[in-house]
Formats: sequence, C-alpha cells, structure tokens
Amino acid sequence: MLVKFWFKNIKLAAIVAAIFVHGSIFAEPMSSGYDLVTGMTNASKSLSYAGLVTYEYRGNLRSIKVAHIVRDGKTYERIQHMDGPESEVVRRGDDTDCMRAADLLLGGRPLKSGDDNYAHLRDLYDFHIRGDARIAGRSVSVVHVIPKDRFRYGYIVAIDKQSGLMLQSVLMNHDSKPMERFQFIDVAIGASANNVEWLPSLMTSGGAEEPVCQQDNTPPSPSAWESRWRPPGFVLSSSSPVDPDGRESMMYTDGLAVFSVFIDASESSQSLPSVEANVGATVVALRKAKFNNRQYAVTVVGEIPRSTAARIAVAMGPIRRLPINR
Amino acid sequence: MSDYEDRLGESVSALMDGEATEFETHRILKEVGDTSGARCSARDKWQRYQMASSVMTGEPVSKIDLSGAISAAIDLENAHRINPLTRHAGSAGRFAIAASVAMVAILGVQQLNNGGLENADAIQFAEVAVDEALQNTGPALQFPAGFQPNIQARTVSVGSNNQTSRQPIAKTIKVGQPIKKQFSEVELRSYLNDIILDHSSHAALNSSQGMLPFARATMNGVAPEPE
Repeated sequence: MLVKFWFKNIKLAAIVAAIFVHGSIFAEPMSSGYDLVTGMTNASKSLSYAGLVTYEYRGNLRSIKVAHIVRDGKTYERIQHMDGPESEVVRRGDDTDCMRAADLLLGGRPLKSGDDNYAHLRDLYDFHIRGDARIAGRSVSVVHVIPKDRFRYGYIVAIDKQSGLMLQSVLMNHDSKPMERFQFIDVAIGASANNVEWLPSLMTSGGAEEPVCQQDNTPPSPSAWESRWRPPGFVLSSSSPVDPDGRESMMYTDGLAVFSVFIDASESSQSLPSVEANVGATVVALRKAKFNNRQYAVTVVGEIPRSTAARIAVAMGPIRRLPINR
Repeated sequence: MSDYEDRLGESVSALMDGEATEFETHRILKEVGDTSGARCSARDKWQRYQMASSVMTGEPVSKIDLSGAISAAIDLENAHRINPLTRHAGSAGRFAIAASVAMVAILGVQQLNNGGLENADAIQFAEVAVDEALQNTGPALQFPAGFQPNIQARTVSVGSNNQTSRQPIAKTIKVGQPIKKQFSEVELRSYLNDIILDHSSHAALNSSQGMLPFARATMNGVAPEPE
C-alpha cells in the first residue's frame, strides 16, 4: 500500500516537473508591452511599408495612402490624400540612423529634462498588453499605454506581431474616450512595399529636401525664451531659431506625446487674440505676452490636454538671466 | 512508516484548523475508517486533538465515542433511491445556475470595462465620444469649419503678468463690453492652420508614431483651400 502511495507521488512529481520544464523551455519569449511599444519606433523607421490608412476623429474620416520606403539607409515618404482636395506630399525622411530625442527616450535612454530631472518613459506611462486582435488582415498585439499623470493622454496601440509595426493608434482622453483613431486598413511590409514607381525619380532628383538630423537635445541657437514649466518627462527634441518673420519654435516630447511652442513677434501675429482651439486631438493655446515692449504670440500646439497646453503657454517666458534692454 | 504517520498527523492537525486540502481530508477519512491495528493512530490522534481543543475552549470533555453507533445506524438505513430523471433535472438546474452566474459575471465585467481603458470597444469610435470639455464654451463667434475656438480673453495687452490669460472670463465681462473683433477670422484661422502644419511636420520627425502626424495634418484642413 505504501509502495503504491509512493508510486502515485512519483507520478505526480513527474507531471509537475514536466509542466515546469515544459513551461520554461518551450514557452515563447514573452515581451512586455513596453518592449512592444519601444520596438514599434524602430520598426516604423527601419522598415519599408506602404498601405492605406484611415484617420478618424469625431465622426470625420479621411483615407490616406502612405508609403515609407527605406533604400540605402535613406528614407523616402509619400503621402497621398485619397479624399477631399487632391494633395500629395513626397519627402525625404530622416536617415535611418538618425536618433532623435523621441527615439532615445523610447530606447529606454533617459534624457536630461531641465533641472537635473531624468525622464524615463516607464515613469510616465504604464504599459499593458491587452491581448490579440486583427488589423489590416494581420495579427496584432494590443497594448494599452496609460499615463501616470493627467498632463498627457493615453494610447491604445495595435502592433503587428510579425514586423513590430504600429498598425493602429487610438488617442484616449482621461475619461477613456477615444479622441482620434489612426489605423491601417491594408499594408504591405518589407520587400513587397518596395516596388514603387515614384521612388527612382525622387532619388535622382534629390527633390525633397533632407531634414537636418538634430540628435542631441540642446538647442542649436540660444533662444531668449525658456519654458519655466513643462509636464514631467518632456524634453526639448528640436528647435528652430528665429526666422526673418520673427517666429521661432521649440518642440518637446516625452517619447510618445509631442507638443510645439511657437513664439511669434511677426507683424501678422500682432492682431491675434488669446485663443484656445482644438482640431481633432490637436490643441492650440495662443497667449499674448509682452516682453521688451514687444507683443508676442506664444502658441502651444500638441496632442495634449487643453489644460496642459494652457499651463505650458503661461509658463513660457524670457530667460531671466539675460540682461533686459529697456 | 513513521514519516508517513508524521505527515498524517500533520494532516489531522490541518483538518482541525480547517486548513486541510481535499486530498488530505480524503486520506484522513480513509485512515480513520480503517480501525484495524496500527491504523488506529490517526483516529486516536483525532480524538486527542478534539479533546485538547475542548479543554482549551472550556467545553465539557467526554470520552464517549459515538462514531461506531452512528456509522452502524447509517449502515442500517435504506439507501435512498434516486430517480434518474430527478438526478438529471438536478444537474440541469445546477448547470442553469452556473450558466447564469457566468452570464452575470460576463455582463458585470463588461459593465466594469465600459468605464475603463481596458475596453476593447473603446476602439470603436463614436462621435459622441468626444471630450465634452473640448466643446466650444466660449462666446458665440462665427468661426469657419474645423475650429471651435474658446476665446478666453481679450484684446487688451496681457502685460508681464503671466497669469492673466488664465483668469476667468468674468473678468473680461466686467468691462461691460462685448469682445471686440480686432482680428480677422480668416487671418486667425490661417495662422493656426499654419502653426498646426508646422507642428505636424516636426512631429513626424520627432515622434515615434510614424505616419500618424501626417494624417493629423491632413485632417487639420491644411490641404490648400482658397481663402
């Protein structure tokens, strides 16, 4: 009897062992939602893909034909609007090895953001894998990206399992309501996307200008303006110096969300009112400021909550340490 | 052998505390039922433990063992005949209960999900699902399609006080005048369009979202229109 009991125990142990061994050896490597989202940036830069996209907000729908072709380390993009007024954009993107601030942040590298604060994407958002779905005829993983504060919005992204490309992105407001949806309805990825007739002409003509790859997050030219408050985690990702019209801009990103600040002393901005507006998920907060007896229009644009945009706009001011000419 | 008995003792102790697993309970019942020879140890142990527990809780301790008489009485009892139909009806009833519990669970979970980000339905886009706060709450101002401006302030100079533009609209109203229109709507619209386009093309390079900013730019009415 005892022998039988032990025999039973051994059988049980064998089953348990088999389950554990099987689990650890044969299970697929599980990638976290964070890994998927960071991998998605890489995929969107390094892969060639072409397809049809819908963009939707508040019951409005636009369809767009996009192509992103990588040849010899250079990126070519074409955007065709399939409805509404005819328009088409062909452009040279960044070289594939250009690492901008958002790429660095998504790569998990903390970037200096202002006063000794180090931003890390995982401090700003929670990443949860919420299962599988099918988008554009492909199998995708759905990841919920939930902000940890109320200064930014969350996302639901669907990431192609095979290539890591983002095939759907839904911007969610704080009431968990979708604000906009970007979604592929058909996509060709890799070699099958590469066969495009417009590419040779663009490559030879050098047609579209090449953007300057601004890799570090220090402004190339000192600005007389500084941001005294930004939501935690946002770092300067690019900036353009004052143009002849008197307009300069700075762009900030936390890795996912992006906002721009425009400071405009141009003639055309003088008569503008302080205004807040939104188009789809994009918010515009325009504030008038007076500095050195000049009127400035300080405009914050981005896919961020309106309260955040307004607060950022208010906190833009002249750099204090500069001597002020009277 | 002694190892086995030790573990049986532990199981009995666990059963006393209500912490025995089903497997342990079955084993104890089997051991207790077997009254021959050495197997009595589990039964004895059970009785001892019960006695100790009675003493500790201050209950009267009795050494009368009713278990023999009770099991004899049970043996004498006629087994109830189970009507196969009733049995099936019973299990069907149980199934129905289980099904309805599952249904409630599913509905409940859906209800919960409706409030949260976890909802897959959130992907289903609806016009109503727009941040109500983003709706136009500003003064009635004829404005071209696309924008819902919320004019908070005023045409007066903001000056150096950074807080002014966040001041409530009441302050503006106190002036007792309607907001003057010193700007052209077309001008404002084209200015904002311009800025949004600029933002989108920057964002296309600086965000991780690939083509998404281009799609936004399209939506923002950037496609050239005669003004």
